[in-house]
Amino acid sequence: MRLSQGGKSAIPVVLFLIVGFAAPLLAVIWFSFMPPRSFSFGGAPTLENYATIFQGTNYISFLWSLSLAVTAVALLALVCYPVAYGLVRVFGKWAMLLTLLFTIPLFVSENIRLYGWVLFLIKNGVLLGTLKSMFGLQLESILFSLPAIILGMVYVYLPFMLFPMTLGISMVPNETRDAAFDLGASRWQVFKEVELPLSMPGVVIGFLLTFVLAIGAIAEAKVLGGQRVIPITHDIEIAFTYSQNWPLGAALSVLLMLVVGVLVLLALRRFDLDTFLGRR
Amino acid sequence: MANSSKISRRNFMQQSALWAAAFAGAGSVLPGQAFAAREKELNILCWEGYNSAQVLDPFRTSKGATVKAESLTNDPTMINRLRAGETNVWDLINVNNPWARKVMHPEKLIKPLDRGRFEPFFGSMMPEFKAPYKWAMDEAGAELLGMAQRFGPYSYVVNTDKISRAAAEDQGWNLWNDPANAGKYGILESDDWNVFNICLIAGFDPFKVHSDDEVAKFTETAKRVFKGAKVVGDIATMNQSLIAGEIDFHMTGGTYSASPARADGHPEIRGITPKSGPMAGGKGGVAWIEITSTVNNPELSPLAADFLEYVQAPDIAHTVAFAEGTFNPVAQMGNPDCFKLFTAEQLDAIQWDSLAEEMGRCAEYDIVPDYDKLLDIMSAAKREASAG
Repeated sequence: MRLSQGGKSAIPVVLFLIVGFAAPLLAVIWFSFMPPRSFSFGGAPTLENYATIFQGTNYISFLWSLSLAVTAVALLALVCYPVAYGLVRVFGKWAMLLTLLFTIPLFVSENIRLYGWVLFLIKNGVLLGTLKSMFGLQLESILFSLPAIILGMVYVYLPFMLFPMTLGISMVPNETRDAAFDLGASRWQVFKEVELPLSMPGVVIGFLLTFVLAIGAIAEAKVLGGQRVIPITHDIEIAFTYSQNWPLGAALSVLLMLVVGVLVLLALRRFDLDTFLGRR
Repeated sequence: MANSSKISRRNFMQQSALWAAAFAGAGSVLPGQAFAAREKELNILCWEGYNSAQVLDPFRTSKGATVKAESLTNDPTMINRLRAGETNVWDLINVNNPWARKVMHPEKLIKPLDRGRFEPFFGSMMPEFKAPYKWAMDEAGAELLGMAQRFGPYSYVVNTDKISRAAAEDQGWNLWNDPANAGKYGILESDDWNVFNICLIAGFDPFKVHSDDEVAKFTETAKRVFKGAKVVGDIATMNQSLIAGEIDFHMTGGTYSASPARADGHPEIRGITPKSGPMAGGKGGVAWIEITSTVNNPELSPLAADFLEYVQAPDIAHTVAFAEGTFNPVAQMGNPDCFKLFTAEQLDAIQWDSLAEEMGRCAEYDIVPDYDKLLDIMSAAKREASAG
């Protein structure tokens, strides 16, 4: 079989993807079948690492990661949709540019931003210290608790939800909205029947992007949560560092990839982007 | 498939290192020059401090060398990187005391030093480091395996405004057995040391093989201790939480972790060594001593030995003690020329007033034979505590 000109041109990219993307993934998958606490690819394949995971308590960490990610995505949707809607309706074509301003914090390391929140929330810190000195209020700190972790996740992943949502809402043509009003639709009907469905590509992309990022989150639980919650990424980190059980860490990573992959595929089946975008 | 068995992580790391070196070399040399010779290159795998510009820059300048230092915060990871094939990448490895003589030398991961060149330096160190210093020697006492420098007691830290030094020393590890203290303490994210501490809280020596009863006690203690913790985090989080009043005390800790807060004007943050405990001689504290060794690199840089010599100089040893990150006593403080460089504030930051007394109450860091099992139990306890 002879390759077309296009096929030949794609060879460098295909090679790059194989070496840079597929090979590391395959290495992780293969390593997950190596004997526990070994450092070689050459051992006899075993399911022992997976057995350890299913017999142990790693499910707690998986459940934490999933719950935190779902909660963060739901809160982000509630926060970001009105903001994105307001940006588009008030600033029109400038909305996307303004949304870029929300990405400025991304230029600062996530850990530094989270430590900033620690200083803000800590006992006698910026918030509680001010309330105490100005109003004599002595409140308990929420630092090192579940709400602090969720706050951190919403804060960190906000730009990743806001940007696609703004894009999605800006794709709704004003003419369609005007036509619906002309035909007697109420404000709620216009939102429900026209604006929301037409902005769904942006909403779905925002959901997927933030979910995938949030399920891999670790810093929020460590820095703001004080490890009161152990997400699955933390279990993976421990396996690769203190435990030096790389095959177990690889097996946990493979399971996380599988869980995320299945959930994303299910979501894409339910919300077909091509249908939303009117390609079929 | 015949080839697949030859592909190992060992090979992969070696190949990666070669390619990385090739790219680095290609980028740094002029056309026509050969690969950068190892005479001008030094790679150090270490705890933080040795990778700081204050320590490395004068050496780089004086030797015109490219010095790369990577800092990690646990010994097993560093040693496993050598095991995984990075012996041809690194020239020096800086880890805690037992690893050189008990693991790295028997596994041929490090090379002995020239005794004639290096042993005299032990003569000007503090008295407990006089040659032949146990942790710097191989098991047979014939080979010098590394040089000692930073050390310190490392048990727990209290805010003395909340718990007096005397009370904390007297109560010892029972601080964690008192139900009234639940929610008042933190745990430093230093899991290898936390395994030692859970053993000590449970009332037995960490550095031995444990019976089934002891493992059961360890499991119960780990669950209780992690459930009662207000926060688990890094050194900055522990110090900040102590100062802000979120917690009253934390384990693991000592001079190494408390010194940055003390140097920053918080003398109430103090490393504590318990007066008694379940280890030989009734000792309750654990101390660490860093040993820096030359890696068994087939092309070991000659700068490795030069660097070991360089950090023995009084001014550089003082810089190492107060390099960025954490502040620690150094064995070279036995040399009056080095000691006089420390200001009163610096001596207070490293708790010089009680150092000898605390070291006397400490067993020296050793390898826990059933560490893997205990760590897995402790990790599960931490996870279960997070389930509420």
